[in-house]
Amino acid sequence: MPDIVRNLSLNGRLAAIAFVLGFVALFAGSPYTGAGATVNTKELSIAMATGADQVGVTTLADWIIQGKADFRVVDVRPEAAYAEYHLPPAENIPVAGLAQSSLQRNEKVILYAEDGARAAQAWMLLRAKGYKGVYILRGGLEAWKDSVLFPRIPENPTPAQVVEFARAREVSKFFGGTPQAGDAAEAQAVVMPKLAMPSSPATGAAGVTKKKKKEGC
Amino acid sequence: MMAPFFKYGLFGESLSLVVAFLVGIGFGFFLERAGFGSSRKLAAQFYFTDMTVFKVMFTAIVTAMLGVYYLSVFGLMDLSLVYLTPTYLAPQIVGGLILGAGFVVGGYCPGTACVGVATGRIDALVLFVGIFAGIFGFGELYPLVSGFYASTDMGQLTLPQVTGLPYGLLVFAVVLMALGGFAGAEWVEKRMAARKAGV
Repeated sequence: MPDIVRNLSLNGRLAAIAFVLGFVALFAGSPYTGAGATVNTKELSIAMATGADQVGVTTLADWIIQGKADFRVVDVRPEAAYAEYHLPPAENIPVAGLAQSSLQRNEKVILYAEDGARAAQAWMLLRAKGYKGVYILRGGLEAWKDSVLFPRIPENPTPAQVVEFARAREVSKFFGGTPQAGDAAEAQAVVMPKLAMPSSPATGAAGVTKKKKKEGC
Repeated sequence: MMAPFFKYGLFGESLSLVVAFLVGIGFGFFLERAGFGSSRKLAAQFYFTDMTVFKVMFTAIVTAMLGVYYLSVFGLMDLSLVYLTPTYLAPQIVGGLILGAGFVVGGYCPGTACVGVATGRIDALVLFVGIFAGIFGFGELYPLVSGFYASTDMGQLTLPQVTGLPYGLLVFAVVLMALGGFAGAEWVEKRMAARKAGV
C-alpha cells in the first residue's frame, strides 16, 4: 500500500472512495434502464397453459357489482374506441403507453381490448416488465357484450339454464344492457348502453381505482 | 431479483410492515450511535460548535446516492420505481421553516425525538407529545389550509430533470459538494473551538 493511502485517516479513505465513485459516475451513464426486458418463459407458459392468466367476464361483472376495489381494469384500445364505450371501472392506457403508465407491479390489473389478441400482447409486455398480477379479460369486449350486456337464453333451456339466465338478466340490467329473450321474433334491439356509470354505491367504490399511496416520511 | 423488492412483489403488504420495522430499528440505532439521542449535540449544530448533524446527513445522502446509482447502472435495481416525494414548492418552504424553528427550539427533529424517547430523555418525550399535538392541530385546521397545501405542485422532480445535465455529472457534483462541505464543517468546528479557547 502506498504511503499516501496508509497515512490517510478512515474518514480520508472513505472520502477518497466517494470521490473515485463519483468520478467514475461521470462516465457510467444514466441509471435508468431502457426499454429492454427479460422474460421467464417457463413461468409465463405455465400461466398460459393453466388459464391462470385470464379472468372471465362474468367473474369480473360480479366483482364490479360487489364493489371490489382491489384491482384495476385497463382498456388498452385507442382513445376513440374507449370514448365510445368502455367497462364502467376501466381506465384507458393504449398499448404504446403501458410502459410509462401509473400501474404498479404489485397491483392486480385486468386488461381487455376488442377481443383477446391485443390484450394478450399487452399482457406479455407487462409480464416482461416484471408486473406480477396481470390478467386478460377472457374474450375481451366481445365476450363482455355476449355474456354480460346482452345475454341470450339457449333454446329449450334446462332448469339450471333458466336460473342462470335470470341471474344474467339482473347483471345485464345493472350494466345498462338488454337481456335477449330466446325468441328470435321478439329479439330486442342491441343498443350499446350509455357511458354513465351504473348508479350504485358498489360501482362508485370500484370506480375509484387510483389509490393514492402515501410513501416516504 | 430486482430491487425495489416491494414493487417487484417479493413480499406483500403485511410483510412489508415487518421489513419497515427492521429498517426503522436500524435507522434509530445508527442515529443513536451518531449521538443524535442528545438534544445538546443536535442544538450544537446551530451554534456551529459541532457539525455532526450536517456531516452524518450529508454522508447518508452521498452513500445512498452512490449505492442507488451503481445498483441501477449494474441493472440490479429499477430506479424509475423508487418513490420520490412530489415537490410542492411554496408549502414545502413554509413547512421546512416550521420544522426548522421547532428543531432549534426543541433540540430534536421528529426522527431523533423518537430516538431520544427510546433512550428515556424527558425533553424528547415533551417534543414527541408536541409532534402529535401539531399533527392533530394540522388535521383539524386542514380544511382552512388545504388550498395552500396542494398549491405549486411540480410533481416528482429530480436534479437531472431540472438542470438538464447528465445524471453521472450530477452524481460527481453532489460528491464534490459533500466533500467540500465536510472540509468546511471541520474548519468551522476548529475555528469555533479556537474562539472558545480564546475567550
